[in-house]
Amino acid sequence: MLKNYFKTAFRSLYKNKGYSFLNIFGLAIGIACASFIFLWVENELSYDQFNTKKDQVYLTMVNQPYDKSIFTHTSTQAPLAAAMQSEIPGIAQTCRTSEGETSMLFSVGDRSMYASGKYAEPSLFSMFTLSFMEGNAQIAFSQLHSLVITQSTALKFFGTDRNVVGKTIRVDNKQDYVVSGLIKDIPRNSSMQFEWVAPFQITYNQNPWMKSWDNSGITTYVELKPGVDPEAVNKQLKNFVQRRAPQSISHPFLFNMKSWHLHWGFENGKQVGGQIEYVNLFAIIAWIILLIACINFMNLATARSEKRAREVGVRKVLGAGKKMLIAQFIGEALILAFAASFLAVLIITLTLPFFNILVQQQLTLGLDKPLHIGALLAMTLICGLVAGSYPSFYLSSFNPVFVLKGVKLKDSGAAFIRKALVVIQFSVSIILIVGTIVIYQQIQHVKSRNLGLNKDNLLEVAVHGSLAKNFIPVKQDMINTGYVVNAALSDHTTLGDGNNTDKLSWEGKAAGSKVLVSGRSVTPEFFATSGMHIIEGRGLQVPDSLVATENSSKITNIVITRSMAKLMGKQSPINKLLYNEGDPTMKLRVVGVVNDYVYGNMYGTPDPVIFNIVQPKDAYVMYVKLNGQKDITKGVAEIKNIVSRYNPGYPFDYHFVDDQFNQRFLTETLISELSRVFALLAIIISCLGLFGLAAYTAERRIKEIGIRKVLGATVTGITTLLSLDFLQLIGVSCLVAFPLAYLGMSQWLNNYEYRVGINWWVFALSGGAAVIIAMLTISFQSIKAALANPVNSLKNE
Amino acid sequence: MIKITDLEKFYRTEEVETIALNKLSMEVRKGEFVAIMGPSGCGKSTLLNILGMLDDPDAGSYIFNDTEVAHFNERKRADLRKHNIGFVFQSFNLIDELTVFENVELPLIYTGVAASERVKRVEAVLDKMQIMHRRNHYPQQLSGGQQQRVAIARAVVNNPKLILADEPTGNLDSSNGNEVMELLTDLNEQGTTIIMVTHSEHDARYSHRIIRLLDGHTVMENIMI
Repeated sequence: MLKNYFKTAFRSLYKNKGYSFLNIFGLAIGIACASFIFLWVENELSYDQFNTKKDQVYLTMVNQPYDKSIFTHTSTQAPLAAAMQSEIPGIAQTCRTSEGETSMLFSVGDRSMYASGKYAEPSLFSMFTLSFMEGNAQIAFSQLHSLVITQSTALKFFGTDRNVVGKTIRVDNKQDYVVSGLIKDIPRNSSMQFEWVAPFQITYNQNPWMKSWDNSGITTYVELKPGVDPEAVNKQLKNFVQRRAPQSISHPFLFNMKSWHLHWGFENGKQVGGQIEYVNLFAIIAWIILLIACINFMNLATARSEKRAREVGVRKVLGAGKKMLIAQFIGEALILAFAASFLAVLIITLTLPFFNILVQQQLTLGLDKPLHIGALLAMTLICGLVAGSYPSFYLSSFNPVFVLKGVKLKDSGAAFIRKALVVIQFSVSIILIVGTIVIYQQIQHVKSRNLGLNKDNLLEVAVHGSLAKNFIPVKQDMINTGYVVNAALSDHTTLGDGNNTDKLSWEGKAAGSKVLVSGRSVTPEFFATSGMHIIEGRGLQVPDSLVATENSSKITNIVITRSMAKLMGKQSPINKLLYNEGDPTMKLRVVGVVNDYVYGNMYGTPDPVIFNIVQPKDAYVMYVKLNGQKDITKGVAEIKNIVSRYNPGYPFDYHFVDDQFNQRFLTETLISELSRVFALLAIIISCLGLFGLAAYTAERRIKEIGIRKVLGATVTGITTLLSLDFLQLIGVSCLVAFPLAYLGMSQWLNNYEYRVGINWWVFALSGGAAVIIAMLTISFQSIKAALANPVNSLKNE
Repeated sequence: MIKITDLEKFYRTEEVETIALNKLSMEVRKGEFVAIMGPSGCGKSTLLNILGMLDDPDAGSYIFNDTEVAHFNERKRADLRKHNIGFVFQSFNLIDELTVFENVELPLIYTGVAASERVKRVEAVLDKMQIMHRRNHYPQQLSGGQQQRVAIARAVVNNPKLILADEPTGNLDSSNGNEVMELLTDLNEQGTTIIMVTHSEHDARYSHRIIRLLDGHTVMENIMI
């Protein structure tokens, strides 16, 4: 019996090659597309899972309540770790590391290169799953200036990853470090990433501020003993800092490793959202695309049911029961699904490299993994069953008496379902088109927003060695080349977050009010170089760093941003004084107001900033404004010459602020590109189905077309007649899709403070695109049918 | 073998009710060859469908081999049908995707005959119908006469007690038509009961008895000698 089914199925598929192609190809694209998404989702879910202590390791996060909202971050006080461990039972160990990534210059012989890494306590090696190839965790940091590096770093430094332990390397042209350990490269799906790691003690010794409870600026990891409830620990942590620093508004809590990648989102001190939202969204999109592909199968199968009707009738007369026929048709759908799966594997193999470039990952098809084989098999089975379900019940319900007599089947029920399915397909496509446009608009909206500074032709050069000390001649040399307009030093990258404080007060500030104010130290040229404008008063001048000493308190002149000025009251802030609550001897006098500029969160509203004069030792970056009229490449080469002349030991390290700006939209850009790809694929799959459906509709109405032509209908008239039905469906799809798309995209946009509005023309454009694409798809079949000679079609009856 | 009494069948559309069979009664004995004749719309095909258990009557009784089957459900009817009744149609109704051999084999598959036994029986019947040499051809590669012989082979491969033929020569020229009628006569002589719907007086003459229908009931019976 099975053999007979297979035979009929294969021959039927072979005989209707066009139909089989539409089905298999559509389903294959669907399966390939879903597989890509699932591979990406799998990768997202796999983050940090390889760590054996993932259940026990936590990051210490901090909630800080301010006037407007609660600010959640990872900056902790250095003394916190030891205090927690001694007072809170249940903590197995802690590990302090420097924040973010530290870039240092490493020199081996006459080769120098930058590498980024962390300072960390040795407990890092037992908390995180890092495997040593040379050296070991116990003795890795027994010397102060020691260095543990990864395999890739070893290759970068020494050209080999063998016998590197014991080698000496000069760091920042100042200090020799000895490589004390070599570890395997950290998997890409790890939240903890570094090229090198050095003892925390080094940075601790260099930064006396770390000894105080008043300053935050390091990351603290905590490992709980097995079975310890993190909530119980969090309760003890809530006011832990206040017992040592009563003024502090920091409230630490533990954040488990398993949540780092997917659940990193905080609103008002509570964990919400994070990457998991995109993971869920795309998983849903994967299933929807599969469904669209299955719908093609259902539609084409029922549309051509007349062709199969006689077979069903004969089989029933010969004794086939309904169940047997259902089994037969589902079997056919399964065969098709398996064929589609094979094709999908081929498509995936060929296109995975491009997808990897798109998502910046190294995903592999991995058909040797049981999970992947199982998932593909499950997808295939589900597709076969879903696609085969409706047609098999429909076909097997035919009454043999009618079908064998050639009575035209009443198609109304099936036709209605077919229409509904087309509406589903096109609704999804239209929603995806709207989504794609809105996401693109939002990114463009933010990218083109007035940042309050001019990022064009602005170069950021890393400051090393004696560059800052020689800033005046360096700047003059650059300007002398004619390629450079201006240059300035800063202690922060302009677009990034940075130092901030809640300890500033001023006359008229409400008691108990807590406001976070960022501080930036710059040279006077900074505002002109960045294209910022002085609104009131004047800019900074070199002597502003220390203007006067009165009653043993020091007065420094500062420039503030407009939002800071607003905070300070309605009157002009010029000559007003600001006080540091922690240090009464420090006073700041406002000499100028500069426009607000966007930093940190590109979607946020600019937070208040104060600027003072930078000390050369604190200068971290130099901003260089290039002359836009001249060749930028030559300009960069000139800058490189000058910087290298003053700093021969350091390779020239620079970025365009433009590029850094674009880097801040990686997630959104990824989402934008993915939505574009998936919208396109959904449309292609839907059109494949529509193409087939149009062919069958034309075929079904061939006699009607013949009669109409005989009676004098024109080709245009008939083409319009045939297209109109489909146009109506697209119209209904628009009605379904628009409100859903509007709701979904409004919700997405709500994630962003600075966001674009959804315009009516987005819907007009999406609907119009759907109509045009659908018309192009069906017009071929409609025109073909309209052009056919009526003599042939009428003779056939 | 067959006894129907006061059989009624209506076809309803939204506005019209058509009476296809109107209190029809008749009897067919085992081994008989009966022709049913009448003008278009007299209920011939409806009767054949009910006799073949493809359709059920709205009223009346249908006794097949001493069993009342008028109100059997579809599964029971299908079961009874596949073991007892073979069908021959005007338009042959062969499955295009299957070869001659596979088409004839189909009823045996549905009655669960073992594969080796199937080959034996299909080959025997193809031999008997003289289309063995066409066993691997597809229906569309055969002439009309050959296709009908395949259809008859398929109808008899299960050794049914009853063959229902619906205008078996309707799509054939006269020489092919005669061949088909000879085949049916042979089968009847070997003991198979045959009920045939036909428009052709010529074909009807092969039967033992002609039942003439008009407007859903019997108007005349001719016994052929």
